Amino acid sequence: MSLDPSRYAELFRTESREQLTAINRALLSLEEGADPAEPVSVVFRAVHTVKGMSATMGYHAVAEFAHELESVLDRVRRGDQLLAPDLMDALFASADALESAIDAASEQAVQTPAMIGALQRLRDVAGGSATSEFPAVQLGGPGALAEVAASDPLDGPGVIVRVRQAADTVLPGVRAFMTIQRVRALGDVAATHPPVELLQAASEPMAFAMRVVTTASVDEIEGAVRSAGDIAFVEVDVTGRTRHEPRTTLEVAPDGGEVSRPSARPTRHVRIDLARLDALMNLIGELVITRGRLLQLTATNGDPALDESMQMAARLVSDLQTEIMTMRMVPVWQVFDRFPRLVRDAARQLNKDVNFVVEGKEIELDRSLLDEIGEPIVHLLRNAIGHGIESPAVRVAAGKPRSGRLVLSAARDRAAVLIKVSDDGRGIDRTRVLARARSLGLVEESTREVDDDTLFRLIAQPGFSTADEVSDLSGRGVGIDVVQSKARSLGGSVELKSVPGEGTTITIRLPVTLAIVRALLARSGAERYALPLTHVRETLEYDDVVVQHVKGKRVLVLRDEVLPLLDLRDVVRQGAAPNAAQANREIVVIERGERRSGLVVDELIGQQDIVVKQFDAARDGLALFSGATILADGAPALIMDVGSLFEGS
Amino acid sequence: MAPTVLICDDAIFMRTMVSDILQQAGFEVVGEAETGAQAVERYKQLRPDLVTMDIVMPDMGGIDAVRAITKFDPEAKVLMCSAMGQQALVVEAIQAGAKDFVVKPFQPSRVLEAVQRVLG
Repeated sequence: MSLDPSRYAELFRTESREQLTAINRALLSLEEGADPAEPVSVVFRAVHTVKGMSATMGYHAVAEFAHELESVLDRVRRGDQLLAPDLMDALFASADALESAIDAASEQAVQTPAMIGALQRLRDVAGGSATSEFPAVQLGGPGALAEVAASDPLDGPGVIVRVRQAADTVLPGVRAFMTIQRVRALGDVAATHPPVELLQAASEPMAFAMRVVTTASVDEIEGAVRSAGDIAFVEVDVTGRTRHEPRTTLEVAPDGGEVSRPSARPTRHVRIDLARLDALMNLIGELVITRGRLLQLTATNGDPALDESMQMAARLVSDLQTEIMTMRMVPVWQVFDRFPRLVRDAARQLNKDVNFVVEGKEIELDRSLLDEIGEPIVHLLRNAIGHGIESPAVRVAAGKPRSGRLVLSAARDRAAVLIKVSDDGRGIDRTRVLARARSLGLVEESTREVDDDTLFRLIAQPGFSTADEVSDLSGRGVGIDVVQSKARSLGGSVELKSVPGEGTTITIRLPVTLAIVRALLARSGAERYALPLTHVRETLEYDDVVVQHVKGKRVLVLRDEVLPLLDLRDVVRQGAAPNAAQANREIVVIERGERRSGLVVDELIGQQDIVVKQFDAARDGLALFSGATILADGAPALIMDVGSLFEGS
Repeated sequence: MAPTVLICDDAIFMRTMVSDILQQAGFEVVGEAETGAQAVERYKQLRPDLVTMDIVMPDMGGIDAVRAITKFDPEAKVLMCSAMGQQALVVEAIQAGAKDFVVKPFQPSRVLEAVQRVLG
């Protein structure tokens, strides 16, 4: 029989990465001064697990590296090695090297430069691996085996048992120990050659002999020896046997009672390729659409039995949908947990003192969304450390705590998840952003003040801050356009709040799941549009009482708040609604961050689960739509990027 | 009836591999455990014909688990799964009552040989 390692390659990578996350987390807690016992053994176990897996995969370079790292950790664990700062650094470097090695793992037994460098550091600070038994599978030919002579220790009463281990014996010392142990069950092992301590420590297959005082037969002795395994040869020499009283043995029978085996099985987990889940999700998406169509078709048919079956089927589809959505949801810590390490490294590099706090780790997001949002968060964290948080000296001079506070948080907000990166740094330098914007012709020469939204729109301009000196001047902005376009492509939006001298908060608003979103269907003229609930606050009847005219523009007065009013007909350039129809129109209150607007539509059709079909044209062309969908009646509809409606106003 | 086995290892990767090897050899995998404490608890519940036991696991290591299992059932058939460089630990495990051992990386034929010795 054979095992196909490629079947395990993905499992190896996934699980190794999890182990690395555990390693980094434990190293960080060590550095923060936690009691070392637990974190050290966590790191030790994780490295050990990686070693076992990579050896099994045939990734010998990784396995050897892990082995050496493990030896150092073992010494730390036993208290033989001090956990000095330079060793901590070497361990961090080793974790990085291990990560890169795992990503690049192949059966080629070549150590990467990172691994070699990390090993060198480890050896420098911890003296390296003193007892490298790796690889232990060394095939010594029978000729290499020591010849056993019946020398002094074996002189005496009893039989002489000579044993030679198989040439491919693994851990021969343990085998020898087991062999002796099995024979001991038959009598007294009076002496061995070589001595037991040497036998047990052997790293090469060997031949050895023992003198045994026993009444057991030759066959019994040979059987006992062979039962220990990996025996190439065994011989029992009875010439020196002396007679003993037969041993009286009392076999104690084990409890003969019926062994009951409970039928309950423990919870078991199955790992599924994400692509399969995606495929399943798409199929369920189609099913959801078909359900809508069927519901419409059967609504007017008047057959109660058919109606009932249809309702049942519709409920089952909903359950199925909920189930698969739940399956795809993962807590954000799966991505957030790698950030403390990243923040630490960036802060060190830039000589900043950063106190990093993560909140809302348990909030769940669709797996594919979470994967996509990792990189944008990295951008934001790096920006906050690089440009937001001041150096300790500057902070102290400004009367702030020496250590900057950086908070990454996740929180649910109705149908959305808000991910916030917030620092207490210097805030964005508006004067400089404005100067840059004026020179690019993005704002009028006379503009002297900008609000947060305009500020964000400026720094999120592709190319606004690509020049190095500008990214320094603006204090923020490297990659902001990347963050913005990523959030949009996921059906979300980005908001900014920045106070000079107090700090900056950037919020990414995302739908909870990507594939199926709940949306409000609105009609404008003959067209229908889907408005994802992520950005919908409430809906209102169009009413002259709430709609007023201010400076020639229509505004909505809602609970003492004046909101700008947009007309969907204007947005999609359809031309004004006929006057007669004006009064029957409806208003959707949309929001992004602190800002709200009213969107006037001809008619609200209702809420529906829609299956999002991404299309690239939306991103390149008019940034009004984030995708398309097929409605219950089979007609296509565009999905509005509601967040983008705030940018024109 | 197929012989039953309980697989104890903190890595899913390893559990999957051992489970594949033993299933192909006609075993029924009745349970898995990720920690030593779980291993002991499941052994008492399931009373399997065979246990494969990793040495290094969180929450009670494999050796302590072997000790607890053989105390509960002196006839328990435990096969240790060890990595390179654990010679001393394997000896300790055997002393604690394990019947045999295999060393990672696993070769299916060696695992099955060891299993036969343990059950034979």
